[in-house]
Amino acid sequence: MTAAPQITNKVHTGSKRPRPPRGRPKLRTSYAQDMALLNTPAKRWSTLLLVVIGFCAPLLFTDDLLQVLTLGLFAAIGAIGLNLVSGYAGQVSLGHAFFMGLGAYTAAVLGGDSEGRLVGFGLPIYIWLPAAGLVAAAAGLLIGPLAVRLRGLYLAIVTLGVVFLGLHLFREANHLTGGPGVGRRAPDLEIFGINFSASGGIPGLDWTRDQQLLVVAIVFLIIFGVAARNIARSGVGRAFSSIRDRDVAAAVIGVDLTGHKVLAFGLSSFYAGAGGALYYTVVRIIEPTGFDLLLSVQFLAMVLIGGVATISGAIMGAIFITALGRIAIEIAHVVPFVSTSVAGGGLLNIFQLEGILYGLLIIGFLIAEPRGLYGIWIRIRNYWKGWPFSY
Amino acid sequence: MTAAPSTLPLRIRERARTTPDAVAMRDKNFGIWEQTTWAEYWQTAELVGHGLLALGVGVGDRVAVHAENRREWLFSDIGIVAVRAATVGLYPTNPPPEVLHLLRDSGSKVLIAEDQEQLDKALEISDELPGLEHIVYIEPRGIRGHYTDERLIFWDDFLTLGAEHQQQHPGAVAELAESAQPEDLATLIYTSGTTGPPKGAMLTMDNIEFAIERFAEEGAFFDPPATDRDLMVSYLPLCHVAERAFTTWLNAAVGTQVNFAESVETVQTALREVQPSIVFGVPRIWEKIVAGIHIRMSGASRLKRLVFGASMKAADWIGDTLVANQGRHTLLTRIVYLIFWVICFRALRERLGLRNARYTASGAAPIAPEVLKFFMGIGVRMHEVYGMTENSAFATANLPGRVRLGTVGQAHPGVEIRVDESTGEILTRSRGSFAGYWNRPDATAETLDAEGWLHTGDVGEMVEGTHLKITDRLKDIIITAGGKNISPSEIENSLKASPYIKEAVVIGDGRKYLTALIGIEMDTVGDWAQQRRLAFTTYRDLSFKPEVIELIQGVVDATNEKFAQVETIKQFRMLPKELDHDEGELTATQKVKRSAVEKQFAAEIDSMYTNRVPEGAAQ
Repeated sequence: MTAAPQITNKVHTGSKRPRPPRGRPKLRTSYAQDMALLNTPAKRWSTLLLVVIGFCAPLLFTDDLLQVLTLGLFAAIGAIGLNLVSGYAGQVSLGHAFFMGLGAYTAAVLGGDSEGRLVGFGLPIYIWLPAAGLVAAAAGLLIGPLAVRLRGLYLAIVTLGVVFLGLHLFREANHLTGGPGVGRRAPDLEIFGINFSASGGIPGLDWTRDQQLLVVAIVFLIIFGVAARNIARSGVGRAFSSIRDRDVAAAVIGVDLTGHKVLAFGLSSFYAGAGGALYYTVVRIIEPTGFDLLLSVQFLAMVLIGGVATISGAIMGAIFITALGRIAIEIAHVVPFVSTSVAGGGLLNIFQLEGILYGLLIIGFLIAEPRGLYGIWIRIRNYWKGWPFSY
Repeated sequence: MTAAPSTLPLRIRERARTTPDAVAMRDKNFGIWEQTTWAEYWQTAELVGHGLLALGVGVGDRVAVHAENRREWLFSDIGIVAVRAATVGLYPTNPPPEVLHLLRDSGSKVLIAEDQEQLDKALEISDELPGLEHIVYIEPRGIRGHYTDERLIFWDDFLTLGAEHQQQHPGAVAELAESAQPEDLATLIYTSGTTGPPKGAMLTMDNIEFAIERFAEEGAFFDPPATDRDLMVSYLPLCHVAERAFTTWLNAAVGTQVNFAESVETVQTALREVQPSIVFGVPRIWEKIVAGIHIRMSGASRLKRLVFGASMKAADWIGDTLVANQGRHTLLTRIVYLIFWVICFRALRERLGLRNARYTASGAAPIAPEVLKFFMGIGVRMHEVYGMTENSAFATANLPGRVRLGTVGQAHPGVEIRVDESTGEILTRSRGSFAGYWNRPDATAETLDAEGWLHTGDVGEMVEGTHLKITDRLKDIIITAGGKNISPSEIENSLKASPYIKEAVVIGDGRKYLTALIGIEMDTVGDWAQQRRLAFTTYRDLSFKPEVIELIQGVVDATNEKFAQVETIKQFRMLPKELDHDEGELTATQKVKRSAVEKQFAAEIDSMYTNRVPEGAAQ
């Protein structure tokens, strides 16, 4: 026997593959089951429950809370983007604010009306939303090659430069951005002829703007979140992780470093652009000085506090950070020396308090729970997962 | 007997015809449970049959299988029986001398060896086996390209050979399978041999058919009867009659889905993944599960320990009530069980892989009632069953709802049970009674009498006229110098019910009082010592720690309280090493060979009867 047959004991398989028996989620008969997004009944049920609660939320909360939640969900799209490049692929980026701004203004220019000195094309969302993502992605692809040459702190500083460049651009391009202190209106969220940005937009339902926007936010977040999870668990996602863990080793096992780093920046910027565009439909006014370092840091905080390299962590972090302003106000009501306005007396105002809370939270999480809110969840889950044992 | 005889291979063929795409078995490889359908099962078994014919195996020849539980074991078994040859199973743990004995005694013509390890054992002694013509190996790693022996053939090539033979002689295997006679030798199952070299018990096609019919009919073992929706995990050695019955025969009888773990080490994981509905285990397995629970609990957080403690109290009470009620629930036990099911039992059973277990059984050796009660308490329906190779594993069983703890249950339909008046020996008679020992007419005559009664060698009595209670092996009964008859296994099992004790050998035949050799359970005692910050190195070092001896003394004292004065252990010694199959102290089924142990540790035993040194402090 010269030609050695393939070494296998596999029996030739039949035509129909039987389904695994019911009630045994751990009995995996294919790798696809093992890698499925919702690979346990617990995940399936809890996801379903979350979505149902999410869609019921407009009926459960007051409008001001709904607005905070909607902002959080749209910010989560941006945070997921940052998590792709910084969490999964390990390339620190401080330039996220620039990409968000790029997306927001692209959307405003394409979707907004031409009013006076401002350029606007009045195109529908099917154009301005993808375009917002793509324009930002194109910018990301330009920044990407820098990451191939730089690592860690150096990359962070270079992307910091991008933010300042962007700030300058946004200030000066008056006919596009409206200029500092003025800004311009974001486009309306109008899908299938329904204007969600105006109260009573959904025919038959007497809903306010905030109620409607929350529903839209949930739908978009599900789309972007599922897409990101799929990127993360695919070959591309695994290549990202290998680059993060050790780029030299990744190159040795055949991962294309240049291609994947550029791709990571491209994908991340796409998310930032789309997220930025959607986020400002809630805020309504896009002011060019808003896309500064603080915004980038906020998004980094979302990723760090939520959980590095997790999609659900990024969502948790985004909602938490967005709600921080609201939390600061609640604290101001309880603690006497915090005033609720900039001009008011007292030791601190709520904006300073918010800034202090950012700092404390980032320090606290990095020291105590580097895996973020997601890590806390994992701890809780593992406690019950092992029940009644501890290991 | 030509009127449509139903046999093991024909039943497989029938299932392949009626439900070709249903799952017959799963084998876990690289993390994935690969499914084998009935059609694939029969096709492969047929190829094995053709391959054997091509290798010159004829009617009545013996073919040995030396492998862990895996699909190929079943393919081989069915293929061998289909061409009217007989399967000889070897334990994967058998050392070369025993392999030599089994292969030579059976006169096996072909050996199907799993991998390099098993192959090496056979090649080491193959000079003394002129009758062994071919060796088929299943795992090629380390063999292909390294071994030049011309008797070797790789499994895939063997199947290809079978396929060629099938083309030239289509239907040859099916014809042979159809012409099988009930008295055909189907398999040689070697006894574990606690007292002498293993003897090959001859089971015929009709014996197996008897077992299969019992499985398929209502009222034997399961209630409701087992179906093709039941899952099993096959993990005990397939050459043992109990596992063969629960894997191959039950699978053929009702179509249960058999699942093979990746290896012996991953059985726990496999159980958790498969969550089998029917589980058969030997006492050692159940004892180890209980010990494992206690180890893991001792490392759990305070709240979890508290909850577990309360749950165990509830389980104790539920177990007691169930025992008093023949395994049936009362309203109150149902309510209590429901509460603790929510907070503990459900999760606990899931971790153990027993969440979906609707029928579990313990057999093949005596078990302490405490262990059974524990499982009944946490909601696992545990039944002690009794059978032996010589009666095709079918004698008695505790039936669901008619459980009597401490007995092995009622006779199966078609099985007659009698207790010999003079000796107290249990006799059984059924269609499952074996045809005799291979090449040992002398031993056969001792076991099977003229009226067809099988002398089991076990001593027992009937309880309430229906349930059989087994006292001990006839040969193991201790008669002390005072003339008292004592059953050592009852005392030993009571000792072994402690999670800290793995082996206990009670000694006292012809002596003034009883003593015991005790081997600790390394895992639990090690864990116990660690929690007390007791440094230790080896098994021996740990065994002879004064603290450990004190711990064991406590267990011995507690056991002594349960028995009469003459049955108490007056002294004990620690075993300085773990008993081992390779060194002849245990059989392949992990049963203690008393004579070997008594000889090996004669000095320790003598020290317990001569000078009364402080307990356990020998050496």
